[in-house]
Amino acid sequence: MNELLPNTYNPRMMIERIYHSPKEALKDPALWLCAWCYRCYRHCPQKVKLPEILLEIRKIAKKQGKLNGFEQALKLISEEIAFPASFEAICLHPERAELKLPTKGPDQNATSKKRKTRAKPEGETHTEKVAVIGAGPAGLTAAYELAKKGYPVTVYEASSHAGGMLRKCIPEFRLPKSVVDAEIEQIKRTGVQIQTGTTLGKDLSFGDLWQKGYKAVFISVGAHKTRKLGAEGESLKGVFDALDFLKLANEKENVDVGKRVVVIGGGNVAIDSARTAIRSGAKEATILYRRSLEEMPANPYEIKEAEHEGVKISFLAAPKRILGQDGHVSGVECVKMQLGEPDETGRRSPKPIEGSEFTVSADSVILAIGEAPDISFLPKEVEATENNTVAVDPFSVITSQPGVFAGGDCVSGPATVIEAIIAGKKAASCIDQYLRGEKPQEAEQVLEEREKA
Amino acid sequence: MSKTETSGTSPQKDDLRIGVYVCHCGLNIAGSVDCEAVAKFAAALPHVVVAKDNRYTCSDQGQELIKKDIKEQKLNRVVVASCSPRLHEPTFRRACEEAGLNQYLFEMANIREHCSWVHLYEKDAGTQKAKDLVRMAVAKVSLLEPQEEIVVPITQKALVIGGGVAGIQAALDLADTGYKVYLVEKEPSIGGRMAQIDKTFPTMDCSICILAPKMSDAGRHPNIDLFTNSEVKEVKGYIGNFRVKVARKPRYVTKDCSACGECVKVCPVVAPNEFDVGLATRHAIYTPFAQAVPSTYMIDRNICLNKENVIVCDKCIKACERKAVDFNMKPETLELDVGTIIVATGADVFDPAKLAQYGYTKHPNVITSLEFERLINAGGPSGGRLIRPSDMKIPEAVAFVQCVGSRSDNGNLYCSNVCCMNTIKDALLIKEHWPDTKIYVYYVDIRAFGKGFEDLYQRARKEGVLFVRGLPTEVIENKKTHDLWLTGENTLLHEVYKTKVGMVILSTGLQPRQDSDSVQRLCVLSRTPDGFFMEAHPKLRPVDAPTGGVFLAGCAESPKDIKDSVTQASAAAARAGILMAKGKVTLEAITSQLDPNKCTGCQLCAKVCPYNAITPLPERKKVELIEAACSGCGTCSAECPFNAITMRHFTDAQLFAQIDAATSADADKKIVAFCCNWCSYAGADFAGVSRMQYPTNVRIIRTMCSGRVASKFVEHAFARGAAAVLVAGCHIGDCHYINANHQTKKRVERLWQKMDRLGLDKNRLQLAWISAAEGEKFASKIKEMQSTVEKVLPEELQKSAKMAERG
Repeated sequence: MNELLPNTYNPRMMIERIYHSPKEALKDPALWLCAWCYRCYRHCPQKVKLPEILLEIRKIAKKQGKLNGFEQALKLISEEIAFPASFEAICLHPERAELKLPTKGPDQNATSKKRKTRAKPEGETHTEKVAVIGAGPAGLTAAYELAKKGYPVTVYEASSHAGGMLRKCIPEFRLPKSVVDAEIEQIKRTGVQIQTGTTLGKDLSFGDLWQKGYKAVFISVGAHKTRKLGAEGESLKGVFDALDFLKLANEKENVDVGKRVVVIGGGNVAIDSARTAIRSGAKEATILYRRSLEEMPANPYEIKEAEHEGVKISFLAAPKRILGQDGHVSGVECVKMQLGEPDETGRRSPKPIEGSEFTVSADSVILAIGEAPDISFLPKEVEATENNTVAVDPFSVITSQPGVFAGGDCVSGPATVIEAIIAGKKAASCIDQYLRGEKPQEAEQVLEEREKA
Repeated sequence: MSKTETSGTSPQKDDLRIGVYVCHCGLNIAGSVDCEAVAKFAAALPHVVVAKDNRYTCSDQGQELIKKDIKEQKLNRVVVASCSPRLHEPTFRRACEEAGLNQYLFEMANIREHCSWVHLYEKDAGTQKAKDLVRMAVAKVSLLEPQEEIVVPITQKALVIGGGVAGIQAALDLADTGYKVYLVEKEPSIGGRMAQIDKTFPTMDCSICILAPKMSDAGRHPNIDLFTNSEVKEVKGYIGNFRVKVARKPRYVTKDCSACGECVKVCPVVAPNEFDVGLATRHAIYTPFAQAVPSTYMIDRNICLNKENVIVCDKCIKACERKAVDFNMKPETLELDVGTIIVATGADVFDPAKLAQYGYTKHPNVITSLEFERLINAGGPSGGRLIRPSDMKIPEAVAFVQCVGSRSDNGNLYCSNVCCMNTIKDALLIKEHWPDTKIYVYYVDIRAFGKGFEDLYQRARKEGVLFVRGLPTEVIENKKTHDLWLTGENTLLHEVYKTKVGMVILSTGLQPRQDSDSVQRLCVLSRTPDGFFMEAHPKLRPVDAPTGGVFLAGCAESPKDIKDSVTQASAAAARAGILMAKGKVTLEAITSQLDPNKCTGCQLCAKVCPYNAITPLPERKKVELIEAACSGCGTCSAECPFNAITMRHFTDAQLFAQIDAATSADADKKIVAFCCNWCSYAGADFAGVSRMQYPTNVRIIRTMCSGRVASKFVEHAFARGAAAVLVAGCHIGDCHYINANHQTKKRVERLWQKMDRLGLDKNRLQLAWISAAEGEKFASKIKEMQSTVEKVLPEELQKSAKMAERG
């Protein structure tokens, strides 16, 4: 959020302000801007749980009736973000859950205030066409921002509806799809063209894009391939890829998960799968994660909510193989793990403890061990990293091919909605600079100018 | 061992003549305790022949009064009820000795810090408590025996472990004073870390240039025996009388070596050079660095092609004109007798590879400060040119990242002292050679606290070094050019920065040596929570280890720069010198005594002694107590199931007597508290000094260590009807007797289990770790226990009688 609103929101300053002038802190809109991505916590050497600290302060603000800051924050969000209601539903969820504060629904978005910011810009119009691949939060944000700046933008979306993960995999109980629909309509009103049912690499090739006259391309295909476990029994009936499972659940298809569900993985997708499973009729949902709570990448707030709903989490347990009976899942054989030396991500790598196998019975198994982007359609000029994500310059968002930019999950690997939104915004401003012929600002130059001054 | 001449006899019970002196201490005591009444009360106690109250007992007049009474009234025991014994026990003990009474026949009742000052507004209850404390003191003093202090001779030789600048300095100081010094160094050469650095702050002196003369002095000094490539394997004994075993690893090159280097030219094997932190190579036959002392080369048999006794490669043998190569050299074990030991084993450097965000070992151009020193050193692998590992070019912009591995949960919590100044010095060095280089220093605080440090910092700023307050979150590498981007928040400008540099230098912190565990066990040292060795007292005895005769110097004690290391080394040498100059040392008579008839050789005592002062003699089914090594904690006595060990001056009988005296009336309203002399008793004193008020029902019994508190004392207190018992000691890890309080913890846990079995309320037995500064904690504890005391039911007290039963 600091990237989004650098002049308003600085998480470190919020801590200082809470210490030194708590009364000011309670009134500050910055108090309400944390979007719960938990990146700060993952990097913090002191492991400060800032989002949870801010939530406690927000509770105090609500008790004292100091909600002006909240109003202001919502206003800022709706000015800066293409789909504020979806964002609020997911990223400001704890505010609704714990503080019971109303966040704006899609109808409220259609008020006169919003219409102003979403009308076609009276400013400059450009002729350079821009193509966006993937109508998820990153792509739609980029498209929206570029359209606001006056560029003609077309978004190519492989599936039948736009929305990306917002529609496909984030469960209905966290984000009602009606909200997503309404917001995409808003975005279309700015002139963004969305072409669904078009897959790059199949219906359209990269070369075709240049032929069609696009001057810049933004790749934001997300990460929709589920990683395989590579264990015995993966092809039994009742074993689901988490993304497929969530998609089916969102499309209101009744998925029969039986009574006992085992989810393998430790990210937000695993948590969502477990909670969706319970709502799909399961009596018991158990998450198996191979490291401990400290290393679990899922949003700690979501973990707490899941546990409240009855989801059991088994730490330091990894699946060895999936057991079946008559071709259908009957259980998972697991082994206890212990943490050893840190790997390249800095997290301690789990090692199995010999002879500690145990079995968990299950009617279905959901694999949520990580998502990866499918970037096979990219030409070889656009290089990939060793993790098979798109390689981009971290500051100018440009890939190894000039004119081609990338952002979102396909660059960073699976991440949160706010991170995708930021990537989209950054891409839009970089594309704008590029199309104007400006060199992206190098930090060195900035410092030099300052020194001369 | 000789014994001092002592005065005083050990009379029979009927011969006891006790004098009790109740001090007013101006109004400090008299203001809230009726001293006259206490004196009157004392007069009626058994064997008390003199009971007086006076205004200032510690004054000359007060002391004269006591001395007069000892002589005229033929007193053979004295009790002074006044302030804390931690304050004036030595004063009154001296007075007794001067009057001809053995100083160990004296006891104090603390009716100021533990009574008048903490019960300012409850005169009646306070006076009653003072009476109880006097009763307890009289009960104990009746059972005290005269003690003789042991005198042990001191070997006038010293052992210095570690040949860094601290070890070298300590060895030189002791040797110059005239003592024989054994300097033992693990590496093939002395010099330590200082030999690796390029320049020193704040003077920008060349490090090896100022160290080398000291190194050769140490190598040539007639009083110093230098053992390099050697490790201390065993330390036995006690203050003044240590027997040390040193293992000398063979160099496979004799003293005939002239350091000509011809052998190196022909050696086919190559390995990373430890001195250059892996940035350069050496051969199997090598000298660690050019100025090594001793200058004799050595062969690393781990990588040499010749294994065991088989010579497959004889290139170095042939190349050596002086025939100094000898593959038949064997390891030696030396046995040394020394009187004092100085531990100067230094520190290790934090390894930043575990901090994934900085990319050390992933990005070639991210290096540590020690690697930087070797690169910029003219004698180093790059001839003094600061080159990027990726392309050997000199970077146009560099960034220093401070506090790597220090001051955070990611590494060590403490500040490593030297990194700020080291970076400032490094930045100036770069500017000296390549003035156009852009230098960024990312910091949290700049600690430039010493003499000349602030000047150096300002100089660096004037030279254009940019200090940015805000550590980078991440170091991102451009995979093609290997340039590095740092991004973080400039917290003074509240802006996010993105800086591109050619090289990142991580200013890594210092941490305790990996092998310090073995040194710790050898010399019976404690560690402070940061892992460095603990000093006897952080303010007043900064170079003494808690074990007598052992001293600390340099980074072994805590991270510090060269000046402080040298200062500490000289201090340690002086302290060791004091001991050795006297030629003998007197040990306080609070030591343990073994009755061999009762001993069955079960060795429970030997297992718990923190000082290894108990030697098992399995063939005789006994143990042997080495009195001179005993510090008097009393843990052995508390562990012994056969009552075979007596603690002088804190015997079982004396402690039982105090418990009985404390519980003689209204036991059901009292808390019997056992407090250790060094921490919890001092903490209670501190509560008194700070005038913290708490309920009047606690009666404190002093032991030297909480480890002395045997289960039977607690059981007896409960059996006598005490409402509650508090066992208080030093915090785990801070025990004055290294780790004796671990036994206390175990014992109390077993007592709780017993209380459970008997159906007693476990809350009645409390265990508290209270340091000398935690007066507040002591007062709170007593207040907290008040509710337990008030709620005790008569049935509960009846059941408690069972506590003293076996089982």
